[in-house]
Amino acid sequence: MADKSEAERGEDPKVAISPSIPSGNDTVWADVSPLLRLACNDLRSDELISGENFNLFAAMSALEIMDPKMDSGIVSTYYSVDEAIDSGAAPIPLNFDRTVDIQRIIDIMDHLLACEATWHKGGSLAQTVFSCIYLLRPERTSSHALLHSFCRVIRTTCSAVVSVVSDARTNEEEDLFTMAYGLPLKADGDDKCLSMLHAVEETISRQLKACKAPLSKRKVLEDVEPLQTNLDLEEGFCKAVLCRLRFRKHFYHVLTCMRRPQGKGLELAKKHIISCLSELDSMLKSAEFLRQHCACGTLEDGAEDKTTASGCQPIGFDSTLNSRSAAPTPPRSIKLLSWTKAVHYFQKLLHDLDTICSYSLDPVFEGALRFVVDFQKFQPDLVARAYIQLLLVQEGKLYGREPMFAVICRAALLPEGAKNHDVQKNETVGQLGQLLISLLRVLCTNTAWQRRKLGKILQDWRIIYVQLELAFRKEFGDITSTSTDQDLCLKICKHILIWVEEQTYWIALRFLVLGFELELYSTSEYCMVYWYIYVILIKLAEKTHLKMMLSNDSSRRKSKKKRDSVKDVGKDYQIPPAVLLLQCYIYVAEGLMMMLASLRNENKIFLCLGPFNSEQERFIQHFELLQKACLPDHASYFLFRETTAHARFSTLPEYNCFKDAQRIAKELRGNFANDPDRMAELRRIEQVAEHNCIALNLLCRLGTLEPSLKISFEFIHHPHFAVAAVKRS
Amino acid sequence: MEVEDKGKAEFEASEIEYVSYGGEHHLPLIMKLVDQELSEPYSIFTYRYFVYLWPHLSFLAFHKGKCVGTVVCKMGDHRHTFRGYIAMLVVLNPYRGRGIATELVSRSIKVMMESGCEEVTLEAEVTNKGALALYGRLGFIRAKRLFRYYLNGVDAFRLKLLFPRPEPNYSGSRGHESQGLDDGKYSELT
Repeated sequence: MADKSEAERGEDPKVAISPSIPSGNDTVWADVSPLLRLACNDLRSDELISGENFNLFAAMSALEIMDPKMDSGIVSTYYSVDEAIDSGAAPIPLNFDRTVDIQRIIDIMDHLLACEATWHKGGSLAQTVFSCIYLLRPERTSSHALLHSFCRVIRTTCSAVVSVVSDARTNEEEDLFTMAYGLPLKADGDDKCLSMLHAVEETISRQLKACKAPLSKRKVLEDVEPLQTNLDLEEGFCKAVLCRLRFRKHFYHVLTCMRRPQGKGLELAKKHIISCLSELDSMLKSAEFLRQHCACGTLEDGAEDKTTASGCQPIGFDSTLNSRSAAPTPPRSIKLLSWTKAVHYFQKLLHDLDTICSYSLDPVFEGALRFVVDFQKFQPDLVARAYIQLLLVQEGKLYGREPMFAVICRAALLPEGAKNHDVQKNETVGQLGQLLISLLRVLCTNTAWQRRKLGKILQDWRIIYVQLELAFRKEFGDITSTSTDQDLCLKICKHILIWVEEQTYWIALRFLVLGFELELYSTSEYCMVYWYIYVILIKLAEKTHLKMMLSNDSSRRKSKKKRDSVKDVGKDYQIPPAVLLLQCYIYVAEGLMMMLASLRNENKIFLCLGPFNSEQERFIQHFELLQKACLPDHASYFLFRETTAHARFSTLPEYNCFKDAQRIAKELRGNFANDPDRMAELRRIEQVAEHNCIALNLLCRLGTLEPSLKISFEFIHHPHFAVAAVKRS
Repeated sequence: MEVEDKGKAEFEASEIEYVSYGGEHHLPLIMKLVDQELSEPYSIFTYRYFVYLWPHLSFLAFHKGKCVGTVVCKMGDHRHTFRGYIAMLVVLNPYRGRGIATELVSRSIKVMMESGCEEVTLEAEVTNKGALALYGRLGFIRAKRLFRYYLNGVDAFRLKLLFPRPEPNYSGSRGHESQGLDDGKYSELT
């Protein structure tokens, strides 16, 4: 702004300012301060300027210049990176005393780790990792091999992570993550970062060896120049630097191995993960040494908040520098994770990646679904989720190798030969494959976003069912060839249609149960939610069973033909374990629904009462998307009321669902003996059933008699099925 | 809206006076309260946007002349639905737990209902148990969870209150999408 006297004198408003954007042919920079000041004088308090393009809503996005909370262009310390460098904010070497130099470099390494973790956790790249001035000017560090190689591997790693996340596109809501305009993410020569890092690592391991060697042997190693000048501290510093360098090396390997097509690098990645974890342990161990010999003198309290192991403030960082560059940065400063928390973040990330690497690439679609659902239980962060997605879907194929039609055929329990059938060329069948891919992708997103997406794609799955029916009818009508081909085609159509229905109910179920994980339901809504889960589960079990019977039917017919057997197939028929497991869930959901309904009817608790609306409005809102997709047909609030309105504790024990659930869970143990995850799930369900059985008995005996009983529902055994806790208040 | 606090004010519920937004002289009172109690900073333009366009939806609570609580709202068309939105609700800490917030927000909701709104929405931090309980009692459901909605990294719930429809309900007929325009974006509100 021009100073006041100048403005008052009413001089030429074209003051000499040096704008970063030059004036053009038709444009010229002008200082509008005097004009604004005059306009201000005309305005009284309570008056607002409004215009065609400037209404109150537009005013809301106005920036208050020079308000540090809003004005991201406000200069806090330096105008530019160059100015920061000229002012000595990032010296090279960091200190002429080589011991201090090493200490400061370790601080930079640690602070960068904190920055990187904060970035992964949702910070912007510009405000975290690239707040490092050394990273921003790649050519400057070349005289300092250690710093230079470290900066290179950091940039390369960030670039690899950005590419994984942007390729996976799992980051719909985390789009800040990949924004890197104007940041030197790829500097010349960064591709050679590993060989540089390796050379530096070699040198330092020789230095470590030299300082550890007994005096007699030192002569031989005399030509090895130590890392720094204080020989008493040489071993400690060498070790501290080495584990940090090695962590970077192995971490970079993990990232690249995991990107090999068709999961071919997973075995190797696992080895690097082990190395990474061990180097992280060494880093944690080095913290004590670094704190004792820190360069910044006395330490303040609160080392747990520090972004470095030593506890010192690192030099060469300014998180406000990029706010004036192209990279988008919210004007507010962000709080970096502490160094310790950053190490823990990377440990968690590596464990998540290890889970991905340990996956068997189950060719059965249901297995892949279960894997990704189980994986989400660890609450993986964005980077791990991007990797699982890239593993599952590559080049439009499952794991990059199974064409979607083959996956669908297997999931629909069709014989092997079906996957080569011409029906896959049908456009609608191709669309079904696309739906399946997007389902897999959605399942890899964060659960909050995932639930919203699942709710929306339900409609697509309903529509594709109808379209497939039409397409198959047409396809079937066109077939003029042999009757065996006609037979197979009919079979494919039947199987796929049932499987589509089954899959749709599976999505609906996932949509409903995620509501528990995201804490979207209040206790007073549990009754209707379990009712809905109950009706969806019944349909799911029905479709699964139908699919299995259909496949058994045809394989039996085949074997019958072959062996010409006359054995009655009806007699030895058993309900498949997968269906029994669903039956078990049905019982638990039904039990919870009826228990909650009885509590509402008799104890008048957990009711949905409010001054402005009724329970019906809550029902409509919660299940709007399911209702819109007619999942299932005829499910309505009135049906829910009808089912639950007459539940009483006096009638519940006659038909104890929890007991049935327990019985089935026990029976199923034998079927899932070699599947530890399923066994664990059975145990959880059994615990839920058992506890609720006891609670139900107690309520039936005392329920209405003792109004002092406090009843709550907790998710202590299972994330989706609550356990009633009855306490005397 | 945490429950108990050492510095609780002593007062009778009848001593609290509720007034509708009355003009620019109320603005500093609202701004002071909100700046003091809410994490997100707002510019004066944000306040003016709300209180100038929907003065009848904003209320203040006074105790012996001192402003101890306020609610700021708006309403308008949102994807073919006429919808109310609660932007800010604040009660001074010593005055919490006595129903002032409920009274303030109920007054706004009533006006919205009478003005023909079909629903009311707002966002609340998932950690704000007090607010969640308050809105739950009023009939709001947690419609969705918004991942890292606030700049401090905390998730939010989108809360929604659907008003009963005058005509008999037939479910499955709602033709609109119920997602906010500002979904997934860092909002300056609430």
